[in-house]
Amino acid sequence: MSDNPERFQAQVVTDTVWISAEEICRSTSLSVTTLSELVDLGVLHPRGARPEGWELPISVLPALKTAARLMADLEVNVSGVAVAMELLESRRELERRVALLERLLDDLTHR
Amino acid sequence: MEFRDYYAVLGVGRTATQDEIKKAYRRAARRYHPDVSKEANAEEKFKEVQEAYEVLKDPEKRAAYDQLGSEWRSGEQFRPPPNWGRDFEFRGGAGDSGRGFSDFFSSLFGGGSPFGDVGGGGAAYAARDHHARIDIELEDAFRGGTRTIELRRPRATADGHVAVDTHTLKVGIPAGVLDGQHIRLAGQGEPAQRSGPAGDLFLEVHIRPHRLFQLEGRDVSLTLPVAPWEAALGAQLQVPTLGGPVDMRIPPGSQAGQKLRLRARGLPGQPPGDQLVILKVVLPAADTPQAKALYEQMRRDLAFDPRSHLK
Repeated sequence: MSDNPERFQAQVVTDTVWISAEEICRSTSLSVTTLSELVDLGVLHPRGARPEGWELPISVLPALKTAARLMADLEVNVSGVAVAMELLESRRELERRVALLERLLDDLTHR
Repeated sequence: MEFRDYYAVLGVGRTATQDEIKKAYRRAARRYHPDVSKEANAEEKFKEVQEAYEVLKDPEKRAAYDQLGSEWRSGEQFRPPPNWGRDFEFRGGAGDSGRGFSDFFSSLFGGGSPFGDVGGGGAAYAARDHHARIDIELEDAFRGGTRTIELRRPRATADGHVAVDTHTLKVGIPAGVLDGQHIRLAGQGEPAQRSGPAGDLFLEVHIRPHRLFQLEGRDVSLTLPVAPWEAALGAQLQVPTLGGPVDMRIPPGSQAGQKLRLRARGLPGQPPGDQLVILKVVLPAADTPQAKALYEQMRRDLAFDPRSHLK
């Protein structure tokens, strides 16, 4: 282990911690225009009046990074990536529920 | 280093048109993209596909690659020919040696080669996030704190094996973090690629069980042992909380299992959690003549039937 590692302050990933659109763009490589289109499509719900003053919950960051990679790697447009984001979130939610139900079933059968 | 047959990776013939190569890339990228794919080794496969497309989509690189000849097979030992790329015109600025591509790619098209990234070209690209787990004490979640963690990162070596690098980080834990929540360390994931940002490191927080307190969301609970007379007659007791001991009034007539609430003494937040104090009446042992006499006196003088409701 290094003797004196650099200290990094962590942020809690939750719907109640907000970060600026500027930081979102910096972290994801998405443009403000793309962010605005995702807002128009109803995928994002920022607070603040104008794009330069927008803030978004930090919890959307992982999904936006995925969106940025899908756009770059698969040449998906903003409408397409909006659909992909919703479907991926639905899949994650279903996987969480399946895992929970499997645990419950496992408990019941081994009781 | 090992030769890579980029045509085989994309599943196209050497005579494929640029349009066929693009279609083959899209098909393979959709199948193996790590953000959507459930295939085993999707990330590794996707990198191979990206690397192949990086070369074959670019007529200059493709022509240079084709000049190596069609006799090579993937996995064969390979060394770049002398004066590699000498007879080609090239634009530069399209190389992409920093995206985790193979040594084969780097030696032919990466930095230092005639095709290298002299102009830093390519669109900015968000590098991948990394995920790990961090175990913290309840006190860290209450006050915030610093923990040093050691993470092991697998890495492909030049000879195709896997090595593990150890990465030490000192993490500032935000006060009020909950069990199961994720915390983000900006820029500590996959290193930056092209001109894009580095990925983030997301740590899933696990709060270790505590000697005194149980945690439920932001609320903490403590089982407080009390003497029968403290429960019956009431008392002013000192109770431990995460923020230090506080005085608490036990109302007269309290029973075992009764819950008392200390507002805002749980984990910080908006709103902060509470501390629940669960009373546990502990009986003194009847192990001296005097103690026995007191119990006898209670049996005689108190009209008390704890099972009256069962009748």
